[in-house]
Amino acid sequence: MQVFKLCLRVLKKNIPSLLIYVVIFLAISLIMALAHTNEQEDALFSPSKSNIAFLSAEETPLVRGLKEELGKVANFVELPDDAEALQDALFFREVSYILRVPEGFSERFMNGEQVQLEKTIVPDSFSNAYLDLKIDQYLNSARLYVEQIEDLSQESLVQYLKSDLSADTPVELKTNGVKAADHVYTNYYFNYLAYSMLAVLILGTSALMLVYHDQDLQRRNACSPLSPGSFNRQFFLAILVFTGLTWFLMVIFCFLFNFKNLVNINAVFFVANSFVFAVCAAGISFLVGNMVKSESSIPAVCNVLTLGLAFISGVFVPAELLGSSVLKVASFTPTYWYVAANNRIAALASFNYASLQPVFSAMLIQAGFALAFIAIALVLGKKRRLE
Amino acid sequence: MFTHIFCNRLKCLLRDKENIFWTMVFPVLLAIFFYLALSNIQQGEVFQSIKIAVVDNAEYQKAEHLKTALNEAATGKSKLFDLTHAAREEAEQLLEQDKVAAYLFVEGGRPKLAVKKSGIRQSIVKSFLDSYQQTAASVNSILKNKPRDPQQLLNSIGDRRQYVVEVSGTAAEPDSVLIYFYSLIAMACFYGGFLGMREITDIEANISPLAARINVSPVHKLKAFLSSMSASVLIHLAEMFILLLFLRYVLRVDFGSKSVYVVITTITGSLTGLSFGAFISALVKKSEGIKIAILVGGTMTGSFLSGMMYLEMKYIVSQHVPLLAYINPVNLLTDAFYSLYYYDTMSRYLLNIGILGFFIVFFCACTYFIIRRRKYASL
Repeated sequence: MQVFKLCLRVLKKNIPSLLIYVVIFLAISLIMALAHTNEQEDALFSPSKSNIAFLSAEETPLVRGLKEELGKVANFVELPDDAEALQDALFFREVSYILRVPEGFSERFMNGEQVQLEKTIVPDSFSNAYLDLKIDQYLNSARLYVEQIEDLSQESLVQYLKSDLSADTPVELKTNGVKAADHVYTNYYFNYLAYSMLAVLILGTSALMLVYHDQDLQRRNACSPLSPGSFNRQFFLAILVFTGLTWFLMVIFCFLFNFKNLVNINAVFFVANSFVFAVCAAGISFLVGNMVKSESSIPAVCNVLTLGLAFISGVFVPAELLGSSVLKVASFTPTYWYVAANNRIAALASFNYASLQPVFSAMLIQAGFALAFIAIALVLGKKRRLE
Repeated sequence: MFTHIFCNRLKCLLRDKENIFWTMVFPVLLAIFFYLALSNIQQGEVFQSIKIAVVDNAEYQKAEHLKTALNEAATGKSKLFDLTHAAREEAEQLLEQDKVAAYLFVEGGRPKLAVKKSGIRQSIVKSFLDSYQQTAASVNSILKNKPRDPQQLLNSIGDRRQYVVEVSGTAAEPDSVLIYFYSLIAMACFYGGFLGMREITDIEANISPLAARINVSPVHKLKAFLSSMSASVLIHLAEMFILLLFLRYVLRVDFGSKSVYVVITTITGSLTGLSFGAFISALVKKSEGIKIAILVGGTMTGSFLSGMMYLEMKYIVSQHVPLLAYINPVNLLTDAFYSLYYYDTMSRYLLNIGILGFFIVFFCACTYFIIRRRKYASL
């Protein structure tokens, strides 16, 4: 086991520089996972209130009623009605929605005229669409009254609307005790693992393999009585041990920060899936280690590979938001299947064969990728030795 | 002498593949990744019908209006829902297998919703049902109050109007995807620090043998430094312009209409980056590895705080620690680009550029005072 021992010693020497990466990646994973957890918090059942500015040129019962209704889903921020101040507020996200009620709105509305409110918004936010819906619902219902009931005062209109709009659809959440939202953090953490773990593995493995790629050393090893098969086995065993340790460290961190949400069956699948991916990542890093030629190119290859895979397979940006052609390309990478399996595990509520089948097939695909990478790496390694 | 040093330096730097990779190829690759990941968000998704199931039992059959409303929403070209009628158990199974986003059932005359998780699609279904119930409540109360024309009422329900019209606050839409690209340019500018760092490494006799050799040559140190620094500046500016052109014409990132100012900003940013690298390298008297770590760490922290990895970070900083936003050069640069694009007035832009200019002067002056007149009798 000389080769194996030596490998571990080389890796040990690299621990300080690897540790820097582990710490940085862990910090980023934690921050990102936390940030996303807050962001995603249950938009459906307790919509988080967004900050809006409500600028009204008039003060009428109808406008007051609308404001009251919006108060259920938004916080009002007082802003001076000045173009630059409003631009600043949107620019720095003090508010994400500025609603302006023009002069004479209520009167014209009550007369059944076509009127509109003006909004200035930060685009692409879901809460804005929600506010739009609320306002439209309020005024559409109001219009029904205005059209149908004669001599309707604004006050009584607002009263009617208030009781009508309190109707709410009850929602049943079908899960196995644990609320689905509890997996959000775990889901993000494990998704980010696809980036951080792969990066650490590539850096460590490549550093290790470069040592062995020294030509003199290789020639010396070639005339030793150790068979190349045994050499490779020991070598790969060392990489697996390194992979195992890295994986273990990163998974343990998730447990440390999020223990209460990890005592369930979903967590078992998260961990299992990440292990399969770790083996696959070991295969990738074995392949990369076989191909790099100089020490300075390791970080370059590592960054491009990990970031590229992470971006196209939905680690940083949720896969639902990616274009279908990007996803098609991504499905030829193991990261895609890893992330897909994670997202599915997060949504699992029961554990029968039908619901688990996609998770298992995603894991199998990753394992297939692992085998393919190792095979290619071995072929390349052989070619390189013969040169 | 200047031309001699300048030309040779240029060749020398261009052959350094590693530097070229980090200062040009890497930002371009990142830009491609951003583009792949974000372009869909920018263009808005193509809306896909939401798959839902309805429990088709006696109670559902009784709820005539709900049936009509649902069927209306589930027909046509741009239909909102893909409707499946199913028995209760069947619906439950469909939800279990993620074949539908939610299923709804009628209980006690009211529609209810069952979901497995809360997401955008589920929220849309809920909004639809809420809106249905609220409208139904309005209709009921109007019918009680002697309506003018009940037939007209039913027609009006179908005619939903949009009451909010968007007016842009400025000439440009506030587009948050742009922040990613702007902070990418800012990061690329600061990666120019690698070049600045190399210049110091190759001029300070105690750091590299090459510098020791240069120091014994009969050329004034400042002259040698400025000549080779000019080569770095030229290379980095060229790289930045390639990046800008790539962003503008290949990825079609919108820089607004003030292209001259975009160029000025890029030049300012590039100079800040180079002088930052030189400053760090002159200031820190440790190994090259540590210097690179500080440079990369500083740039990454700055980029992170200005929203390159996580957009909200920018706003968190500007709301809670506004000072940090003004002393973070990466953020200043990102803001400069964004305010060019977003504001009609130039005041914010000029403020950002002004502070950046101060940073350049500060970095250059410090570097100058650190490296001037440093001579060695023996090394």
